[in-house]
Amino acid sequence: MIDNIDWAALKTGDKTQFSTLVRDHHRALIALATPIVGFSEAEEVVQIAWVKAYKAIATFEGKSKIRTWLSRIVINEAKMQLRARKKETLFSDLAGDDSNGDALEDRFAANGHWATPPATWHYDSPEALLMSDDLAQCLDRILTAMPHNQRAILEMRDSSELPFEEICNNLSITASNARVLLHRARAHLFKLVDHYQETGEC
Amino acid sequence: MLKCREVVHEADQFLSDDLPWHRRSRFKIHLIICKHCSRYFRQFKALKDATPSMHKKASDEEVTKVMDAIDD
Repeated sequence: MIDNIDWAALKTGDKTQFSTLVRDHHRALIALATPIVGFSEAEEVVQIAWVKAYKAIATFEGKSKIRTWLSRIVINEAKMQLRARKKETLFSDLAGDDSNGDALEDRFAANGHWATPPATWHYDSPEALLMSDDLAQCLDRILTAMPHNQRAILEMRDSSELPFEEICNNLSITASNARVLLHRARAHLFKLVDHYQETGEC
Repeated sequence: MLKCREVVHEADQFLSDDLPWHRRSRFKIHLIICKHCSRYFRQFKALKDATPSMHKKASDEEVTKVMDAIDD
């Protein structure tokens, strides 16, 4: 993402700068909150998180990426909402969903080597890879259909770029469980992009 | 001998420097000798790097709503 923010001004509470931050990250934060609290609550959670982020923006030191910093505020807010709703276990519905297995498994032969190897992708930069409007629509569909636990981990790790350990703590799952879920989520995306690159359609 | 399926499963740990040294070197050697896995790994990394920008920018309406809440 192109960094178009005047950080010094932002930290003094400049609202024009802050609105740029909102424009760049709002949708990602909604996507992060949705698998945790549900779609109907996600907007309110993120709204409250933005107000808190604005009040705390002077304390942002740049040790992590701004998306990561904002994500932590959203996750804390989401946890508070769950507590307020008296959910006993956080993310309880995220735990044991085993549906929607490994999307790349059928690409391998019995001996473990590629039967259908990946196509050669054409892109100028990683950012350009997901930019096509057609692909964005396919991506939306596949993300919406993804089990909540896979989606939550994908957003936390690859979009919010939270450390792996922190994600396991947030979701109260083991590292090996988290790895499997993350692998499955990415395998879905990889398969989609691979197919799109090869055929021009989803 | 590492299998291609295992490369796909270990790619993330390799990228985040989370593999013990012997599995790390096994991984590296496999990428040198297997062009399919080398392509997979390059494209996997590009996809991972692209994921933060898969979310579209918010609309004017969404931005205004947040900014109004901050002003209250």
